[in-house]
Amino acid sequence: MKLYGAQPIRLTGELDYGLLWLTCGLLGFGLVMVYSASLPTAEAARFTHYNGYYYLIRQSVFVALGAAAAVAVFQIPMRTWQQFAPYLFLAGLSLLAVVLIPGIGKKVYGSQRWISLGFANLQPSEFMKLLAVLYAADYTTRKAAFMNDLKKGFLPMAGVMLATGALLLLEPDFGAFVVIVCIAMGILFLGGLNWRVFAVLVVVLIIGFAVLIVTSPYRMQRVLGFMNPWADPYGRGYQLAHALIAFGRGSWTGLGLGDSIEKLFYLPEAQTDFLMAVIAEELGFVGVLAVVLLFSWLIAKAFLIGRRAARLERHFSALTAQGLAIWLGVQGGINIGVNMGLLPTKGLTMPFLSFGGSGIVANCIAVGFLLRIDWEHRQMMRGKTF
Amino acid sequence: MNHAARNRASRRILHLHLEPWRTWLVAGVLGLWAVLLIGRALYLQGLQHNFLQDKGDEIAARRLTIPAYRGMILDRDGRPLAISRPVETLWGWPKKIDRYDAHQLARLAGALGVPVAELRRRIATPGDGILSLDRDLDPKQAARITELNLPGLQLQREFRRFYPDGSVAAHVVGFTNVDDVGQDGIELAYNDWLEGRPGSRHVIRDRRGRIVAELSPERDARQGGNLTLSIDLKIQYIAHKALKEAFEASHAEDAGIVVLDARTGEILAMSSMPDYDPNHRANLTPRLVRNRVLTDSYEPGSVMKPFTVADVMEHGLVTPDTVIDTAPGYAVGGKVIRDDEDFPEQTVTQILQRSSNIGAVHLAMMLTPQQFIDNFRSVGFGAYPDTGFPGESNGYLHPWRTLKPVDQATEAYGYGVSVTLMQLARAYMAFANNGVIMPLTFLKRDPADPVQGVRVYPAPIAAAVRRMLMTVTQDGGTAVRADIPGYTVAGKTGTAHKWVGNRYAQNQYYATFVGMAPATRPRFIVAVMFNDPKGPNYYGGLVAAPVFAKVMGTALREFNVPPDEPMPPPAVLTERAAPREPA
Repeated sequence: MKLYGAQPIRLTGELDYGLLWLTCGLLGFGLVMVYSASLPTAEAARFTHYNGYYYLIRQSVFVALGAAAAVAVFQIPMRTWQQFAPYLFLAGLSLLAVVLIPGIGKKVYGSQRWISLGFANLQPSEFMKLLAVLYAADYTTRKAAFMNDLKKGFLPMAGVMLATGALLLLEPDFGAFVVIVCIAMGILFLGGLNWRVFAVLVVVLIIGFAVLIVTSPYRMQRVLGFMNPWADPYGRGYQLAHALIAFGRGSWTGLGLGDSIEKLFYLPEAQTDFLMAVIAEELGFVGVLAVVLLFSWLIAKAFLIGRRAARLERHFSALTAQGLAIWLGVQGGINIGVNMGLLPTKGLTMPFLSFGGSGIVANCIAVGFLLRIDWEHRQMMRGKTF
Repeated sequence: MNHAARNRASRRILHLHLEPWRTWLVAGVLGLWAVLLIGRALYLQGLQHNFLQDKGDEIAARRLTIPAYRGMILDRDGRPLAISRPVETLWGWPKKIDRYDAHQLARLAGALGVPVAELRRRIATPGDGILSLDRDLDPKQAARITELNLPGLQLQREFRRFYPDGSVAAHVVGFTNVDDVGQDGIELAYNDWLEGRPGSRHVIRDRRGRIVAELSPERDARQGGNLTLSIDLKIQYIAHKALKEAFEASHAEDAGIVVLDARTGEILAMSSMPDYDPNHRANLTPRLVRNRVLTDSYEPGSVMKPFTVADVMEHGLVTPDTVIDTAPGYAVGGKVIRDDEDFPEQTVTQILQRSSNIGAVHLAMMLTPQQFIDNFRSVGFGAYPDTGFPGESNGYLHPWRTLKPVDQATEAYGYGVSVTLMQLARAYMAFANNGVIMPLTFLKRDPADPVQGVRVYPAPIAAAVRRMLMTVTQDGGTAVRADIPGYTVAGKTGTAHKWVGNRYAQNQYYATFVGMAPATRPRFIVAVMFNDPKGPNYYGGLVAAPVFAKVMGTALREFNVPPDEPMPPPAVLTERAAPREPA
């Protein structure tokens, strides 16, 4: 395991420009695909005033907001972030509670996940994923001594996660809950949680999720639809059947940008949850491979930044960077998996690509953190301390 | 706190060490997942491409038909007899229509012109497939429905057959069924030519039914061919009208008329009673649809006599002026043949003029059975007239080998043979066209492309018979009512007792008149038949001849045939010039 550590850390330049351009590339590609996927529905819908640019304009604004938020985050030292992490997490929790208040929280398709801000909606659960990373990283750093201790090391975190989970399931937002649990467990594991304890917990969690699925009719339906979409392609299996058709129709090189048929009112949520299906149909396997590779590269970079922080004994930064990697990796992995029928249908967007204000801003902030952590390393190489 | 415990605690803090293997494990799991995703993409987009494509086409691809209209049927001057009119069928998706509010329902009902309750009843049809809300909408109504912009509706263009002349040419043109396939008449006979072949398009449609892509090149629709008939609508109209009036006045069971161009064999008009309106198929019954001219054969009576006369003359046995002993009561085979009016002797011409049965029998008996029957056969009796019309009958002609003298005697005046009116008209072409019978046709002939006729009599014989037949419509003839001022007319009446059950009914007749004009150089042949006319006017000369005169007169004027007879003195003008008596 000295593979990485054997090399002296050499960083040139001010910023990890690779990460920056990778992010810009994904965001730009996302804009193009959101526009393509949303055009037919936007042009046909009354609430968009039949404006085909409706989603593109919004997504552009979100990207700009995200960039601004990332720049702002970048200005603040990680040490400060660590100090405020628990409070930020508490603020996030209260937003999750607020969203449940009738009249404030906005209900869409039976889920109460949004707080209306007028021009757009705020989705606290998207930010909660980010705050969970910060909180878990801070928690693990503080409780490092108890990582072998189930009671002192794990249970407090478990309590916090249960509270968060309860709020998320009340919305309901099962997808966000899964992601946050993955983040918390991942960070605990990276922080040195006893692996035997961890293994037991993983088993318990899997059983817990299974129970949650079986006890909720709508989740159960989604699972059944996922098992065999062709059994009921007009009912339970509808979304998945059309997503799979989109993949199949795309074949190797796709039908061409803008030529998706499934986005023509067949595929619901083409610009959000099922954007990958549209990408697969219009750009084919080549497009899917490019997205998976670019995305994997970005996550690999986050892990590397985290490892570098670990070697510099900057534990909070290390766990934050790797926690962000887990978040983006798990959410992206689930989203693509759902699109391809490897996982049951879940309301999770594709980070950086899918339409959605809160998601895009939260993703941009994540990159802001990664750039900040990396930037601090570069400064330390020059003898500066933080 | 003892030393060891503090030491252990501090060691833990001091040694908070983020082990690299944990990172690699987590990153590795995510990386494996990425590999799995790529593998799944390869499977879906490479291996399962065809299966998924088919599944997609099942949902989104549709084969659309491009309707092709049926060709028009036109009369010889291009006037329409049958046209295909575009209509729209309105299809609805009940699931969407169920969500209409009362206002939307009312608007749809208004556009369809039905009460809301009726519309509700149509929608309430069980099943969740699509249902036809209305058929035969005209394009204006369809446009109004499109303007409503309601969801769940779709219009489909079709063509419906329309017969602008209604019943006038019904027995010629026939009709089509709901699927636009010819069922009778010309519609059936030339169905292959008239019928269009619908084209098709294989398209991808979006979920709202709009076409977004073509899958395969479309097959063009082939429109049906137009058909120009030999029928002259004006003659057809007057023939139909005159026949209908006489039919209704005489309370006949049925009646028929046919008008031929005597030189070309073109059928200019044909009508049958009772008639029907092909635009209202629901009212059709076999009795109405039946074509009496072509499909009904009957014993024609005396109209058969001229053929025997012509044959006897052709064999050089008599001339028009040969005097025949027609003493009353000709006994043959235990049967005594009589005439209505007795003459001890008559010339051949007089036999035709007065329609003497005894005279006809005397002439027939001059021939051998074979000569007698072959003569009938040569002018087309017992054979299909080959008009190309569906359901035409060939009638019945006795084989000469088994012909007994009594048969030959009765057949000479038209009993014991069975013919159709079309066969009669065709056979009279032998006299009208100087001995040559032209093939019959319902299609307009190209004058530049003449057809070959069949000579059955030498021209002088045909002309001689025609001259004799002219006397029929003159004073002393049986059909003075067939006279047309300004034109010479040749013709023959036939009045035959109807065979009912197993005997000839005493008071039921077939009344026929077949004639041609101008007799000096005939242009047209008109044959008229009534089955069982009631009342005193049951004679062919009384019920059929006036119809002949009306139709023939119109045809002659319509075709600008120059009169060949000096007009009678203008009695009408003299009358008008006379001073009016004070009231």
